Parts: sequence; C-alpha cells; structure tokens
Amino acid sequence: MKSREQEYKEIFIAEALEYYDALNRHISELERRPEDDKVLAEIFRLLHNLKANAKAIGYLQISDVAHKLETAFSLIRNKELSFSDEVVLVLFDGIDLLGELIGNIDNPEYGEPDHVLIRNLDIIVDNLSNSTIELAKVQRYNSSKNLSLSELIYIQIKKLDHLLNLVGELMIDRDRILSISRDLDHDELKSVSSHLYRITEDLQYSVMDARLVTVGSLFNKFPRIVRDIATAEHKEVYLELTGQDIQIDRNILQIITDSLLHLVRNAITHGLELPEERKKKGKPREGNLTLSAKNDRDNVIIKLEDDGKGIDLKQVKKAAIEKNFIPADAAAHLPDEEVLSILFEPGFSMAKEVTEFSGRGVGLDVVKNAIDSVGGRISVNSSKGKGTTFTMQLPTSIAVKGALLFEVNEIYYAIPLIHTESVVSIDISELHEVGDVLLADVKGENITVVYLHELLNAPEHNMRLGDKSRLSGQVQNIIIVSYNNRKLGLIVDKLYRQQDIVVKPLSKPLDTIDLYGGVTLLGTGKVCLVLDVPAITRYFITKR
Amino acid sequence: MKRILIVDDSFYMRTMLKNMLTDAGYEVVGEAPNGQTALELAKSTNPDLVTLDVILPDNTGLDVLKGIKKDQPDMKVVMVSAVGQDVIVNEALESGALSYIVKPFSEEKVLEVVSKVLGGEAVS
Repeated sequence: MKSREQEYKEIFIAEALEYYDALNRHISELERRPEDDKVLAEIFRLLHNLKANAKAIGYLQISDVAHKLETAFSLIRNKELSFSDEVVLVLFDGIDLLGELIGNIDNPEYGEPDHVLIRNLDIIVDNLSNSTIELAKVQRYNSSKNLSLSELIYIQIKKLDHLLNLVGELMIDRDRILSISRDLDHDELKSVSSHLYRITEDLQYSVMDARLVTVGSLFNKFPRIVRDIATAEHKEVYLELTGQDIQIDRNILQIITDSLLHLVRNAITHGLELPEERKKKGKPREGNLTLSAKNDRDNVIIKLEDDGKGIDLKQVKKAAIEKNFIPADAAAHLPDEEVLSILFEPGFSMAKEVTEFSGRGVGLDVVKNAIDSVGGRISVNSSKGKGTTFTMQLPTSIAVKGALLFEVNEIYYAIPLIHTESVVSIDISELHEVGDVLLADVKGENITVVYLHELLNAPEHNMRLGDKSRLSGQVQNIIIVSYNNRKLGLIVDKLYRQQDIVVKPLSKPLDTIDLYGGVTLLGTGKVCLVLDVPAITRYFITKR
Repeated sequence: MKRILIVDDSFYMRTMLKNMLTDAGYEVVGEAPNGQTALELAKSTNPDLVTLDVILPDNTGLDVLKGIKKDQPDMKVVMVSAVGQDVIVNEALESGALSYIVKPFSEEKVLEVVSKVLGGEAVS
C-alpha cells in the first residue's frame, strides 16, 4: 500500500521539479530584463513555496538553499545587490543545486552539496557586495545537465471523465464497424476492424486503470473518525482495516464516501454497546469494527462488520407494521432477509433519538440510493447479540457494464448483470394468476413474474399484468432479477447474449420514464434500452 | 460538519492541509491555487472558514482577504504564512483575518487554530 508519507514525498518531488523548471525559466528572463518586478515576484513565490514545503517534509538542505536564494533575490529587489554577471552565475548555480538536491532525494549515496557554491551563496546573502571578498570562480555548476521530467503528473478528474466518455463513444462505433465488416464479408475490413477492436479494448482498460485509486485512500481516514465518534459516544472501539490496496474507480469511491461514513457512525452509535454492557454480556469491553475490501471478479466488495448487539428483527417488524411498510398478518411469515431489506426502504428509520453523530434523519435508503447510482448492491446480515455486517458490491469501473441482452416486441433491452440472478424457462401452466400479478415457483421459491411486453407496451388503463391470456407461446423465458433481496421474474420474448455495454443517459423526453436507466447502441446500429432494475422492482413493491 | 476552503498555490501544502482537516472530520469544500479561483470558490461554496496563503501567483493573500470580506463580511479567514511575514500577517489581522498559521505547521497547531476560530474565538 502506498503510505501517506510516500504520497507526500511523490507530490513534493513532482512539485519541486516543476518549481525548479519554472525558476530556470524565470531567472533567464530576469537576466534579460533585470528590472522586471513581476518575474522577480514569481521567483520569490516559487522559492518561498519550495522552502516551506521542504521544511514541512524535512528536506533541510533544500529548504536551506532555497532560503539563501530567497534572501539573495530580496537583496536584488531592494537594490542592495546588483544583478551583475558574477552574481547571476552564482544564482544560476544555486538553482541548479536545488535541482540536484531534488533529484537526489532518493539517492542514499548523495553526500553534501558543493561547499564552494554554498560559500558563494553565503557571500552574496551576507550582503558583502561592497566587500573585497571575491566570489570563487566555480566551474559553472552542473554543466553537463541531464534533462529530467517528473515521473508524476496531476490531472483533473474531469479530464479523465471526458476521456472515458470518448472511449465509450469509440466503443459503440467500434462495435458498429465490426458488425458492418461482418455483413460485408470483406477480409481486409474484417482484419482492420478486429485490430480496431483490440486497440479500443486496450484503450478502454488503460483509461479505466488511470482512474483507479486504492480503497485505502478512503479507509485510512477512518481511524481518526472512528476515534472521535467513539469518544463522543463513550464507547471503546477497535477498528481493523484490510484490503486497503484494492483498487477502484475514483468517482465510485467518492460517491460511496458519505454512505460508508453513515454506516460507520451507525455501527458505533447503534451497533456497538457501551463497555460495561459488553462486559456483562461476556464480550470484550472494546467493540470490534472491521472495514474490509476485496476483489470479486469485476467487482469490489466492501464490508463493514461490527460485533455489537445486532439488529432486532422483532423491532424492525414492529416498526414496519406501524409505518405501514408491511401488513401485520404477513410479518410473521416474512423471511429474515426480507425483514432486513425493509431497512433500506425510503422513509424507514429505526433511530429513536438523534445523537450528535448518528440519526440525523438520514436513513439507510439514502445509502442505498448512492450505491444504486453507481450500479452497485448493498445487503445486510445481522445476528442478534452477535453483530451486523453490511456488504457493498461495487463495480470496479463506472463506464462499462456487463449486461444481458434480450428482445421484447422487437425492441432490444439490456439488464446489467449485477442485478441478474438466473434465467429460467417455465411452462405457461406453471404460472399462476394471483391478484394482479403472476406468480411462479422457481426452485422452491415463489417469485412475482411480470410480462415485460405488457408492462412496457400496454396503455396504463388497460394494463393487465396478472392476465395469463396475454402471454403468447407455451414456454416462457424468464430472467430472474433481484434488488434489495426481492426477486422478480421478467418474461421476455427472446434472450440474447451477454455483452459489455456502454450506458449513456437518456435524453429528453425519455429521461422522465423511470423504468429505464439509460440507453446503448448495439453493433448492428440498433438502439438498446437499459432497464433500471431498482426502479422496476420498487414499482412492484409499491404495487403489491 | 464544518466546511473549509483551502487557498494555497502549492499542491503539496493543499494536500497536507486537506488531509489534516478531513482526518479531523472537517469537510474541505474546495481548493484554490490562486486568488481568482479563491474568490470564485468563496462565493460559490460559501464555506465556514477559509485558510488563506499569504503569497499567491496572481493576487496577494491580502487582496483576496479584502475581496472576500467585501462580499461576505462574516466569513472566517485564517492566514497561512511563513516565518518573517509578520508585517503582512498584522495587516491581514487588521483587515479581518481571525488568526494565522505559520509554515511549516504541525497538525496540532492547524487543528487548534481552526477549531478555536470556528468556535468563535479570535486567536493570534
């Protein structure tokens, strides 16, 4: 893992080399126009920053030389020192010495800077311009210079966003060209387009890679935060971090930051018990909180575990009935996972009191929305008395999603794989009309099934989702999707392949239809709508 | 969570300050490398506190301080200076800055000054 010290050092060196280059540029300008106050001010600023940064990080030779140069230039500015040829030489040498010191930060062999040069600088700095001491003629320092550029650049995230966007567009065109070349059956075109395919793929991964940061850059902020919350709540907490070197897209990490903070606050405030209480229960006084990350195929799994009192399912049920989230008679038969899922419903909160750190009216639904927005999933497991675990499954990258393609009414649709559970074929006789929906027994589980053709095409006043007579054909292809522990079967006309797709936001007026999460263009040039599984599942939950 | 704007022309300094402040539970709402951006961000983000470097590439920190105070007279500003800039710092304090931090700074010092100023104390 890249430690913070290492990060500071890299930033320091990169910036110091930039300053060094700028100093060289400005001192050459100053040699030509010694009266230019602006250039002089700029030189001051650069030396000043270099000095302050070097002092902060502890490179005292650098801060010392920068300080001497700064003093020399202030004498020049105050006209106490003339910008004569021999002074200029010493100043050039001094700046080169800075470059040398910066370049040798990692070189343990590097000894002391050139004494004669330091003495020359001291002579100037001590303002002995009217003295008779001569500046030693030093061999023009570093005459055989190596030009070197920094190994590190900073880049604004929005530039990377733009780049990724362009790669997305390029991928769409690439697929189109590939498809056309197959249709034309032109060998040369086929070979060029398959080359284009590989290059675009490389480009896509390179751009995605450039946006990756370590999870540690977020995790490492938590020790201090946990300490502060624990102190305020009079709790004792041991925080364990693992998997800090797992990499993830910077924007995804940014978007889940608040969610993770919220979950950590909740875990300490509501999950972990007070030390005395823990002792009575036979637990160690100190509560354990584990924040971990690991890779799982294309996803990153972030887990937050506590060994606190766990979530009381009875209380959740009670609150859910009181707040009309579930009917009282259904509550008894609800599986535990479904009870826990209620925690993520909009407007559902268990917080009884508002403390300084938790329960500011922000429920877990806000956390869930944030995770949904990056195409991730969140789930919770809890065991009373033993603790709670939140698991977030996040895509590593934001732009490209694996998706399952299918057709309904001769229109192409896609569902992100992160939401698909399985694909089954069911005989129409195994579908049962229950109320205004269809139910099917899939591997021993009763699942609500929706005829997408009806949902997507029938006018609302005439929509009959629970009417089997609207189905065509004997065997139905059903994609089982899941969201927040609720499974839903979607009947489609034809199933196609899995494919990586670039999801583009919908433009007006379609952007108000919340069943669609976006759109993509297939290689054939056909438009393909991407279904928003969270939205569709929510639609049926409210319907039920 | 108190919101802070960092104004400093050095990326290194901004990174250090940002880490110190976010680790301590503050929200850094913006980072400005020059005076122009500083003034824009002070307006658009309306932070609880601005840490303001004394020397900037386009304006002096003093100009920025005066610019902020003109439009947002209640905004809290802490100057960040180096040793030997007492004259500027004193003028800044007279122009409405509430305190100052001298580079190179320790984490303790930064957090002490920031929390005092945010708590309503003028410390110098």
